[in-house]
Amino acid sequence: MKTRMTFPLYLLIIAGVLMTSCSRNGTDQAVLLPVEDDPTVSFRVWFKTGSQADPAGLEGISALTAAMMTEGATESHSYEDILSALYPMAASYGATVDKEMTVFSGRIHKDNLPEYYPLFINAILKPAFSEEDFTRIRTDMINGIEKSLRYADDEELGKAALYTFVYDNTPYGHLDVGTVSSLEAITLEDVRAHYRTCFTRGNVVIGLGGGYEDTLLTRLEQDLALLPEGAPVQPGAPAPLPLEGRHVLLVEKECNATAISFGFPIDVVRGDEDFWALALFNSWFGEHRNSSSHLYQVIREARGMNYGDYSYIEIFPNGGRRQMPAPNHARRQQMFEVWLRPVQHQHRHFALRAAIRELQQVIDSGMTQEDFALTQKFLDKYALHYATTTMDRLGYAIDSRFYGIDGDYVSLFREKIAGLTLEEVNAAIRRHLQSDNLRIAMVTNGAEEFATALAVDAPSPVTYETPKPEEILAEDKDIEVYPLGIAREDIRIVPVEEMFR
Amino acid sequence: MKHIMLCLLSLLLGGSPLMAERGGEGAFPYDYRLETLENGLSVIMVPMSAGGLMSYYSIVRTGARDEYEKGKSGFAHFFEHMMFRGTKNYPAELYDRMVTEMGADANAYTTDDYTAYHLSFASEDLETVVKLESDRFQFLDYEEAVFQTEAGAVYGEYRKNRSNPWAVLFEELMETAFTRHTYGHTTIGYEEDIKRMPGMYEYSKDFFSRYYRPDNVVLVLVGDFNTGKALDLIRSYYADWQPGYKAPVITPEPEQSAERRVRVSYDGKTLPLMVVSYKSPALDAENRIAVAGSMLGELLFGESSEIYRTLVLKEQKLQFIGAEFGFNRDPRLWSIYAMIKDEADIPMVRQEIDRTIERFRSRPVSAERLEAIKKRLKYSFLMGLDTPARVAGGLARFVALTGGIEVVDRLYAMYDTVTPEDIREAIETYLTAERRTVATLTGRK
Repeated sequence: MKTRMTFPLYLLIIAGVLMTSCSRNGTDQAVLLPVEDDPTVSFRVWFKTGSQADPAGLEGISALTAAMMTEGATESHSYEDILSALYPMAASYGATVDKEMTVFSGRIHKDNLPEYYPLFINAILKPAFSEEDFTRIRTDMINGIEKSLRYADDEELGKAALYTFVYDNTPYGHLDVGTVSSLEAITLEDVRAHYRTCFTRGNVVIGLGGGYEDTLLTRLEQDLALLPEGAPVQPGAPAPLPLEGRHVLLVEKECNATAISFGFPIDVVRGDEDFWALALFNSWFGEHRNSSSHLYQVIREARGMNYGDYSYIEIFPNGGRRQMPAPNHARRQQMFEVWLRPVQHQHRHFALRAAIRELQQVIDSGMTQEDFALTQKFLDKYALHYATTTMDRLGYAIDSRFYGIDGDYVSLFREKIAGLTLEEVNAAIRRHLQSDNLRIAMVTNGAEEFATALAVDAPSPVTYETPKPEEILAEDKDIEVYPLGIAREDIRIVPVEEMFR
Repeated sequence: MKHIMLCLLSLLLGGSPLMAERGGEGAFPYDYRLETLENGLSVIMVPMSAGGLMSYYSIVRTGARDEYEKGKSGFAHFFEHMMFRGTKNYPAELYDRMVTEMGADANAYTTDDYTAYHLSFASEDLETVVKLESDRFQFLDYEEAVFQTEAGAVYGEYRKNRSNPWAVLFEELMETAFTRHTYGHTTIGYEEDIKRMPGMYEYSKDFFSRYYRPDNVVLVLVGDFNTGKALDLIRSYYADWQPGYKAPVITPEPEQSAERRVRVSYDGKTLPLMVVSYKSPALDAENRIAVAGSMLGELLFGESSEIYRTLVLKEQKLQFIGAEFGFNRDPRLWSIYAMIKDEADIPMVRQEIDRTIERFRSRPVSAERLEAIKKRLKYSFLMGLDTPARVAGGLARFVALTGGIEVVDRLYAMYDTVTPEDIREAIETYLTAERRTVATLTGRK
């Protein structure tokens, strides 16, 4: 494919040669991933700020501010003009806001870089923060909670309920998009002030990948130096209170199936010694959207109860639509999470028991040598799929910078996985996983009745419309009475209308 | 910069088998090679640099469209699940284990017009993949109990989808727009048919025998591999697969003569939803007016359109508006989607959509705007071709509809020749009241 370089880009390159003298390798302020034959350029501009910086009462302001920057006007262009200019390039830019990081990203064919770059950089440097955009974007965000999250996707609702439940009373304890009332409380002046405080030159890191010229990096460095001064104070890592026992949040809603999620915080993040061992365990136990995983085999494959069953040791947003984990959700605090896709209401109690029982069994008995060896082999090549595009690889490189990991993450991951022993994995499982102290969130109908059944550990026998092997039916006898030991006072029922209010 | 993620793309007719090797002088930038085995199996190979990875798509040119028998809606999709249930040579556990050992990213999906099975993996595992895929496509074998259990998983998938009001609306829309053609049901099928699936074991074997034949399948290989060696492997493992595809007789949809409307109540809260659909032509890259018609969605209702600027950005009456004007095997629908903030505005939005069309009918699109769309189509296509999986996935629908990928170059060449007059004629031809179906959905107060 030929790459046409236009006149303004030549100018830019010449200017850059004159202005730059520093090394074009990565620096503290830049994560670089040059790919010479890539006809596109990928940007990821990372600010070390996220939703944990939202002031109390103004939850969602980081997400709102980032949306105002990427879905609104700049000082030089109306949003309509921006859309019109981006349109022929088939390009866009956007922002990802997570707890601890906000990343502005965009990808452009090199042919169109001269026209694209000013639009992208102005979104970061010169957002207009207009009243009109503010009204539109804030309304969209509120509708997103009131209408979409509560009523259009029970799986995401269940997971969102779990996250706020697990991190209650910590800086991670609210949705990135905030709540209905906090969004309503935010003023345009709050947004402007938040931008000046959090999107500053002191906490920005350039991420640049693909077929770019060094001069582009120079220009980015110079342009980002125009950001507001200073750097916000970084909050400490959240310290969730230790959980005691199994606590349940039932979201009462008229729905035809029950979405189930449960989990607890863990003290392991990417790069820690035990991370690799837990990653191997997790892949065996519940690799995302992979039929080889153990939970999937037990609940979907053998019993046909739902569409899939997965587990995680790192946050995995938008799991219903993604096969591989999205980058740029790096955190200093992660949780172990199990996600059961919706089951019929009459199977909810059984499915929850089955999942917790499986977890406890592997904690008690550990993985087998056979499962360990197979998963080790699987991950060695499966990891190659984590980041196949320049954009994804750049995102992973930024996450590695966050976690203090040197070199290519996928290579390191494969190396670490290859070096593990079964004993190390089973020791890590025992050290970090447990099933006694859990937060469980379920979106269901008839919550009161379910709460009663949970509180007395009522048997939950299941019948199948189709024949099942004897060993499955025998195991069912154990599962249906597996004690969960949940006290009624530890079960909270919240009508869906009150979620994230 | 929101994207209305409207998934289903388009389709087409069968192309004649041929051998070809060519370079990227057209819109598709990679060299590729197309071979057809004696049994009718077509193989498209696209070598590209991919860090030792490759993608392997098996595209069965059968989808929900081919479910012509009453009570069998959703079966193509259900059958896709059964394709993972193993053979005598490689029972499901062994198949899973071998795929797991390869660390392959493996999955499948079903659309209105085709079913695709895909694996991405390290190229060194190509022979294992050819061995496994050729085996299950020839010798699929499963017990009735396994079949019945899988029906439960499909029902679970249906339940999952039903919590989304768009899925509810879409089901009603299709049923209203099509009175005879099989496009009248969605890919996942009707709930009552899904409930009956456990009793269709014998039918499933018939389905396999009818449609899973080499003369109804195209393999697409993209990535780091040697085409000669790959072809040798494919010849070796697929040669004995017996042809015998029996094309179903799909009742054509009678010409629509008047606008149809359907109102749907959703048992949950949601902003009101609206879909305004027009009967679309089947994919025909040689038909300039039909190709111009496929550009209308972006032109009239895309993010840089006037209605988007007015109702989404300025007056903020809409959460979003967008359109999907794709390609299908038979005439289907081109649709405009809107999420409306206030139920009272439903008539106004409906009217504005009509006005937008009328404006373009009476006032030709500017050459500048048309060029912007052509440029967008070009770059959108090019930027989506950066990994083997994305190349193969992006080609899948064209392959399914035509049996090859020559149509891609023909289509993009035709885009280049479209004039403002062609756009006007496409509006006259396709965006007429008698071709229209309007579906609205409102939720609980």
